[in-house]
Order: sequence, then structure tokens, then C-alpha cells
Amino acid sequence: EDALLPAPQNISVLSTNMKHFLTWSPVTVQGETARYSVEFQGEYEREYANDSWIPICECSLIASTVCNITEDISATVAYNLRVRADVGARRSEWGTLKGFFNPITTSLTPPLMKAIADGYHLLLELEDMGPAFQFCVLYWKKDQESTMWQKLVKKVSSVVHLDTMEGGADYCVKAQSYVEAINRSSSFSQTQCLRAQGDRSMWL
Amino acid sequence: SGELSCSLPNPRNVHFESVNMKNVLRWSAPEGAGDGVLYRVKYSVYGVGRWIRKPECRNINTTWCDLSSETSDYEEQYYASVKAFLNGMCSDWTETTRFNPLTDTKIDPPTVSVSSTEKSISITLTAPEKWTRDPEGESVSLLHVYPGLQYNVSVLNRKTKKRWFFSISNNTLVVPWLEPETAYCVSAQIHVSTPLLHSGFSKEHCVATLKDQTTK
Amino acid sequence: LGSKVLHLGHCRVSLSSPEIRAGFNAIKANIQARDPIRTLSILSHPHSLHKVKSSDRCCITHHLLDFYMDKVFRHCKTEDPFIDRRISSIANSFLSARRKLEQCHLQNQCACGQESREKLTQVLANYAALNVTSAAIKSLGELDILLDWVEK
Repeated sequence: EDALLPAPQNISVLSTNMKHFLTWSPVTVQGETARYSVEFQGEYEREYANDSWIPICECSLIASTVCNITEDISATVAYNLRVRADVGARRSEWGTLKGFFNPITTSLTPPLMKAIADGYHLLLELEDMGPAFQFCVLYWKKDQESTMWQKLVKKVSSVVHLDTMEGGADYCVKAQSYVEAINRSSSFSQTQCLRAQGDRSMWL
Repeated sequence: SGELSCSLPNPRNVHFESVNMKNVLRWSAPEGAGDGVLYRVKYSVYGVGRWIRKPECRNINTTWCDLSSETSDYEEQYYASVKAFLNGMCSDWTETTRFNPLTDTKIDPPTVSVSSTEKSISITLTAPEKWTRDPEGESVSLLHVYPGLQYNVSVLNRKTKKRWFFSISNNTLVVPWLEPETAYCVSAQIHVSTPLLHSGFSKEHCVATLKDQTTK
Repeated sequence: LGSKVLHLGHCRVSLSSPEIRAGFNAIKANIQARDPIRTLSILSHPHSLHKVKSSDRCCITHHLLDFYMDKVFRHCKTEDPFIDRRISSIANSFLSARRKLEQCHLQNQCACGQESREKLTQVLANYAALNVTSAAIKSLGELDILLDWVEK
């Protein structure tokens, strides 16, 4: 009787900036290719739907050992996830994620940004990190950190106008990403400084 | 009118086309029906029992019927239905999907007016008005329907070709410290976050800042 | 997508309504097409949610979240995995919001007045007028009616 196919191991979730990926170690069988299927279960399924599991079609009998679960893991509740392997006619038991995954624990990175001086105007180019993201932008006159201005940028469209600047003065800018659904922010980006018109605008 | 046989193919693609809550029922003629097809229209408020005929759209030969008046309460949802008649034959009643004026309407861009001084431009935006039964009567701005309405404003410096974006809640924006004698082109878009709706960008309105009087 | 903080009297609850709406919009046509009954609404007739006094909003929201958890989602299993996944996403978002509202409810900040009880009784009566599956599918198809009201 064929040896029992081992369940996938080292199952974990890599989650950055509200994008979540389930990964696991491959099940290796000499000369054959394993295929994997993934299912998830939210708190609703555990508490109201008889502990049912829901298959993720895009990760059904896949050869890869990574599955993008972002679309399904969308609520701020604790999710269970499991993977099993199929090799030929043989099928493994389910390997289940140790502990739960809650999107609230995603790691948030500061946005890529570029501060621009256009005449007396301070502008900002921000990375589009997806619809869940807003940005908290701080800017101040160089060496006058005690007086900072803050702007919440809700919707990214290429170059965002922050403010007008005093001629010839140096300004600095930094930004952090913010996800309202989980009420968490990233760390701040590197600070960028520049000079308003009155002199040739240059990086400092 | 004698016994009708309902073997005529149905009107196709019966749907509401809504802009600023002007809600027009539209459809396509039955497959292969040719000329002379007439139509009747009825509608119903979802959750209320009765279908109501629209008299102005009885035996019409057009493939649209304005139901704005009948569907003006955007706290309700609606169905509408069309039946075709030709040479003593008729089709079945063909229905729309459920129509929710609040989420299913399209929003026009805001109107934009721009004035300038030597070093600044002043932008005034006006949200479109909700369709109203009495054009002479009191109008209702879509701002009233969607209180969270915001404007995304694009300002293009025609000389440097640089475009800036502003996101504002109120309807006026002054952009100071600009270059004199320079053309700036402004367009704006409406954005509603819940329900998620946005208009296209308006046509660009260009204005030039005036000559700087201080430089002789 | 983002979320929206609902101000329900003394209670504040963040509901990921854009997320829920996106999930609902993806299944709306399919779910509403499964509901042939035009003459009955679970939520909006005979009394519209929009006529509810603001003092009753918290109680009605709390109980409608319960209603959807207990009586709707679990009876909406379909033959379509895509729809079931979207329903799961919505149901788990409701669960998350309901838990936050529960805390406020336990602090007696979400009291129910006479009008709330009448409205909720009407909703349950409308639901009971149909068999469970039809009533659940109809309720799910009216999610935009609930969101339009909750977000007002």
C-alpha cells in the first residue's frame, strides 16, 4: 500500500501592506510533481457555519508553494488556513497554519515618495499602495522641527500639492502610510529636504 | 383589440441609464422585429406590490422612457418592465435588474470657473444638480445627496507642463504664488467614498495670470 | 479598501463598508436574480429604514448585524465558490463590526426604544413570511439598502 503522503509543512503567512501570501514547504516525491490546494476559515465560519472551510479556487491543485490569499482574507478577524498535497492518486492530510492569521498584523512600510519644489510650491509624488491606504505627510521648515504641518492624503494621484513655501527657505518632508481598516500606520519614510524658489531648487 | 399572441421576441437589454439621478429606461428592439414595433412600460417600487403603468410610454415607438419622476425617491429601489407589440403579436414583459438610484447613477463632472490675478488663480467648483421634476422649482445639489462628496482638482502649468493635484472638500480653491503671465489649465472630478462613485474629469478651463505690475 | 467610522449615538464602530460594498457589488446581480419576489422587502417596507430616528440607529444597527449573522449568511450557501467566498468576506466583516458594537452595547450605550423594537419586529415578520432560504437570499440582496442607511 503506497506510503501515506506527508502533509505540507512550514505553513506560514507573509503579509506586507495588506497583501497576504500563504507559503509552505514542498512535498517531494521522487520523479513526481506534487500539487497543492488551499482552504480558509474565518471566525464567522467557525462560530456560525459549522466550522466549515472554503476553498480558494485560484489555489486549487497548483504546483507553486505560494498562494495569494489577499482577496479572501479581507476582514479584521482571526483566520485559519490549511494546505494539502496531491501526487498522482495519492492525497495528503491537511497541513494547518499554526495559530491564526489576522490582517491586523500585516507589516506596513513607509511609502516611496519624492518631494518636489516647483517655484514656491511644495509637492509630493507618492507610491500608490492600494485603495486601503492613506498617507500622513509631515513637513516643516528646516531646523524648525517645533513647527510641523500635517496633511492626510487620502487618494493618491500623481503629484499632490502640499503647500506654498517661503521664497528661498529650506523645507523637509516625511510621510507614513496609514490603513484606516486596521487603524495602524507604518514608520515614517526617510526625510527629504529641498529649497523653495529664490535660489535654484536643489536637494540638501 | 382581439386576442394577442405573445410570440414576439422580447425587448433586449432593458436597463436604467441614470445620470445625476435622471433615470431613463432604455432597451433594444426585439431581435429581427423590423419597423413598426410599439412598446408599453410599467414600473414598481421594490417591496411594494403593484406594477404601475406609465401612460406617457403607452404604445410608443421609441426605445426609451424617462422614469425620473417615478423613481426620484432615492431611498427606494425599483424595477421597470417593457412589452413589445407588432401586427397583433406581443412579447413577454421584460424586466430590468433592481435599480438603486443612489448607487447606480453616474455623476457628471463639476462645473469649473477660474479667475486670476498676477500671481494666483481662484477656482470655484459647482457640483451637478440632482434631476428635478420642475426645472423652475428649487434645485437640489448632489452635495445634498452625497454629503461626503469631495473634489479632485488638477492644475496644469502650460509653460512647464507640470500638473499638480489637490483634494478638497469645499468648493473653492485659491492657488497663490504662481508665475505671472502664465497659462494654467484647471479640471476637476467629483469623488464620493461611500457609496464609491466618481465622475470623470471636467473639460479643462484655462486662464492666464496677469502681467506683474511691480516689475518695470 | 478603507473603512468608515459609524457614529451611532454614543457608540463609534468602524465598518469596512467600502470592502463590504465591493464584495456585495460583485455578487449583487447574481443574488438579486435569485429573488423573484418584488412585492416584499425585508428591510425597506412597510416602514423604510430611512425614517428611523437617530436615537434608534445604534440599537437597530446592532440587531440588524445580529440578524444577518444569525439568520442570513448561514442560509446563503450557493453552488458558486466565487459567491460563497464573497459572502464569507462580508460575513467576517460583519462579525468584526458586531463585536465592536457589542462592547458598546454592554456599556448600555446602545439602548432600544419602542420604535426600534417595532422596526425589528417588522423585519423578522417580513423574514418569516418566506421560507428560510428565500428570506435569507432576499435579505442578502438588500445589503445595499442596509449600507445606504448605515452610512448616511
